[in-house]
Amino acid sequence: MEKKKEHLDRIVGAEYVFDDPQTLEAYAKDLSFVLPIKPQFVVKPKDIDEIKMLTKWANEKGTPLIPISSGPPHFYGDTVPGAPGCIIVDLSRMNKILRIDRRNRIIIIEPGVTYSQIQPELVKYGLRVTMPLLPRGNKSVIASLLERQPTLISRYNYSLPEPLRNCGVVWGCGDISYTGHAGNGSYSLDEQWNAGHIPIDPRGPNATDFMRLLTGAQGSLGIVVWASVKCEVLPSIRKLFFISANKFEDLMDFSYRLQRLRLGDELLLANNKLLATMLGNSDQVRDLKEKLPPWVMIIGISGRALLPDEKIDVQEKDLTDLVQQYGLNLQSEIVGISNKEMIDTILNPSTEPYWKLKYKGGCEDIFFLTTLEKVPHYIQIMNETANSLNYPVSDIGIYIQPQHQGVSNHCEFNLPFNPNDLKELTKIKELYSKVSEELIKHGAYFSRPYGMWANLVYNRDAQSTMVLRKIKKIFDPNYIMNPGKLCFKSL
Amino acid sequence: MTLLKSAYQDLEDIVGPDYISDDPSIQDSYAFQWLAELVRPEQSHYMPRPVAVIMPASTEEVQAITMVCNKYHMKIKPISTGWYHWAGPIKDEDDTLQVDLRRMNRILEIDEKNMFAIVEPYVICAQLQAEVMKRGLNINIIGAGASTSIVASACAYAGMGPSTYWMGHNSDNVLGMEWVTPSGEIIRTGSLGSGDGWFCSEGPGPSIRGICRGFLGSRGGLGVYTKCAIKLSHWPGPKEFNVRGTLPAYRLPIHENFRVYTLAVPSWDAWADIYYKIYDNEIGYIFHRQFTLAGADLGPALWLILNDHTKTLNDIEEMVKRSDIKELTEELRISFQIILAGRSLRDIELQDKILDQVLAETGGWKVKRFCEDDMAEFTNVYLQRLGHKHLNFVWVGGYLGSWMQPGTPDFVKKYVPIAIKGLYRDAAGGLLVQCGGDALMGCGSTVAGGGWSGLEQFVSYDPADRESIKAGTKHMEDAITDAISNGIPPGKEAIYLSLGYKDEKIWDTLANSQQPIIFHFQRKIKEAFDPNDIGDRNYPTLPEDY
Repeated sequence: MEKKKEHLDRIVGAEYVFDDPQTLEAYAKDLSFVLPIKPQFVVKPKDIDEIKMLTKWANEKGTPLIPISSGPPHFYGDTVPGAPGCIIVDLSRMNKILRIDRRNRIIIIEPGVTYSQIQPELVKYGLRVTMPLLPRGNKSVIASLLERQPTLISRYNYSLPEPLRNCGVVWGCGDISYTGHAGNGSYSLDEQWNAGHIPIDPRGPNATDFMRLLTGAQGSLGIVVWASVKCEVLPSIRKLFFISANKFEDLMDFSYRLQRLRLGDELLLANNKLLATMLGNSDQVRDLKEKLPPWVMIIGISGRALLPDEKIDVQEKDLTDLVQQYGLNLQSEIVGISNKEMIDTILNPSTEPYWKLKYKGGCEDIFFLTTLEKVPHYIQIMNETANSLNYPVSDIGIYIQPQHQGVSNHCEFNLPFNPNDLKELTKIKELYSKVSEELIKHGAYFSRPYGMWANLVYNRDAQSTMVLRKIKKIFDPNYIMNPGKLCFKSL
Repeated sequence: MTLLKSAYQDLEDIVGPDYISDDPSIQDSYAFQWLAELVRPEQSHYMPRPVAVIMPASTEEVQAITMVCNKYHMKIKPISTGWYHWAGPIKDEDDTLQVDLRRMNRILEIDEKNMFAIVEPYVICAQLQAEVMKRGLNINIIGAGASTSIVASACAYAGMGPSTYWMGHNSDNVLGMEWVTPSGEIIRTGSLGSGDGWFCSEGPGPSIRGICRGFLGSRGGLGVYTKCAIKLSHWPGPKEFNVRGTLPAYRLPIHENFRVYTLAVPSWDAWADIYYKIYDNEIGYIFHRQFTLAGADLGPALWLILNDHTKTLNDIEEMVKRSDIKELTEELRISFQIILAGRSLRDIELQDKILDQVLAETGGWKVKRFCEDDMAEFTNVYLQRLGHKHLNFVWVGGYLGSWMQPGTPDFVKKYVPIAIKGLYRDAAGGLLVQCGGDALMGCGSTVAGGGWSGLEQFVSYDPADRESIKAGTKHMEDAITDAISNGIPPGKEAIYLSLGYKDEKIWDTLANSQQPIIFHFQRKIKEAFDPNDIGDRNYPTLPEDY
């Protein structure tokens, strides 16, 4: 143990090696139901060289590494050690914005860069990054994109990993390579940049799409040390619109149409519980929920670059025409909350406490991908299962986020609970497990299989399991990267 | 290079006697590949002859064929529509079975609501486009044209075209894929593997498609793709093409939701500027530099000749002497095409207005003659359907592509003058078509949403003239030298030429690349999915000791 610490001290410096009980406890668990396991150490490297040394040492010693780049709270069990003796590699010190290029609309960042850090910097350049819905302020941008968290503007989502473009990686085997276009050049990003090679094209290098192997990997193949992210032009003017409905089905055809036309920017659908939790303080959620219609579609339109006012005007008129065709009603505000207040709330990182925890202090998420027309069936499964376990259906937040320009949709159920109430905790565990099984059985595609979902998903897909294990052996032959996750249970 | 009788019998047992052949005339029809003459000994038009040609009808047959190839240690080389010399066998010393996928030609499903179609490998772009347009949808047709296989461009090679800017690159548009690996496993990627449908290409967990669908794809070197789902895009035009005109000048009337323009700018700096402004303003549906492929000196006259049924190519010499044509040629020197499409009339009017402002800011203009009805309608059908690929070969029957290094417009504009100068120099000897040093064409963006371009120099040579062929090969070697001496990596020509190299020369190049670890990873991937090495070297790897 002491010898290990000495090695780690040498690699990252003694002040960045932690083994005090309080720190280890903080990394031993998260808000998921994944079994807590204490790590042996927490280390905070400062750069790629230190990570490379750590990886080399870990391979020699057979010591597992778990990369973490976002701040707490964590929700899905992917950062909880899956085996004893793990070392947490906390990347929060690597929080530099390496470059912002307005003309090419690219930002290059380290893994510790968060959403609350990136947006104000981009504004200075007239840019922004399309975000997920209300991320934690301390959520790492790279982690969010690697985990394929859904983003709000589906028309920019040409593929699910968008806007992630190129990455620098220290693989589990200790080798370093760059993904995408950057993989064709030297290891010096400055040298590449000076030669005009901007890391924009995500494919490759060569016949392999290495970046796509890293997405959804939960840190089980390597550690990403930098990434380039495509930015959008910062809108100079924007508006939000709302369409209310009693049933989700009433909004479905219209959502399909908007997606096909790529009209507007942000587009999401939320039930009243989810929206109330987003908008209200903890003591307002119930009242707000009662005031809100059962379902709301939120549509953002923006004017950017040339003729922004006319762009807004044309979109608004087109939207108005379209809404009428579908017999719906376009509203510029809802429950008396001003448009500006809505924009400030929805299009920024979450305030503290994190919005999903406001209502009861705990929240379990169940999410998967599907085509839109199947969503009502999954809502029915969710509600029936909740009813069967006496969990209040009215507490369930539902969030539908079109992705990949409408071809797939992120469907998410938020199940709030009081973590201090043992009875409620037991019930939510049972509900979480039972409804996950039911949904998977009925074709819900759990593309990001965290925690208990991994077994359910990979047990149904033997071929993918076989292929992924082959991939794992190539890039992390000693299984040192975040063991126990996905289908990578043991060597 | 003959097939063992027992192997032939095993294969025949899979597909039946009508769908396998080792008749030399059939074998040679597959060895005869465009561009072969540039890399083969004695300027032969033939790549190595396959030992047999087989035509499976299903995924299961492809799997069974793959197992036979493993049993007899034969290379397996799939071809659907083919494009370039690497579609055939590559090495003389290999026994290669050519797997022709033309019987797998069904559109299996069009999911109009969720905007995707499921296709087999011999479904071509024109076929699917005609079907989906009836439903108000469209597909990204790759630069190689409407007659190419969608599965090939989505799963195995390239994937960009004039519409990529708006509709996405086919590597992004591919959803579920069905892949028969060289070891004979059938892998279904994304949601398909979980039995949840074809709609998603990613996951579960890491995206498996990453191992076989990179920048270029595996080009038939790592198994056979037997089906895929492809994402579709909105089509705000008529349900059917009401094409009129006379061959080759077909014309497509311009629907009220569309505008079709040929634009020009005064300098290459302005060219880059206008591309960036188009990206930022998100205008445009099809965005391409197309007509310059015929050369900046002769191209304008050529396109007018093609649209004038009273003229033939023999008129070109006189045409280019006319003062109006000379003027037009200068006006079009740095030009490109853009088609705007609006979801509504007010949307298309606004895009038009934005384009005018972009032109004013960059000193650009609409080229009046090419925006008149005849040329605009010709441009419309040319770029919407991409069915004119025969015109790539219009001058003398053969062309090669050089340069085409991908990058930002600011990067591309750096190599343009070098490429122009190089073609003037290499064509001066009279063995290559002297159509003008800028014969550079390419996508407005090869990455969806903009930001990434690349221009390919179209160098026309006479494939019936050995000296002209040699001049074509020399041009490619010169282009590599020109690029390297200017600090630019080699372009497309390097891939063309490598087909004629020995393994060791390719390995040397890969080992000297900036990140050779990439090719070691690819070796490990190959070892995992192709343990008997039945895929050819189109999937590049480095030996362990390199």
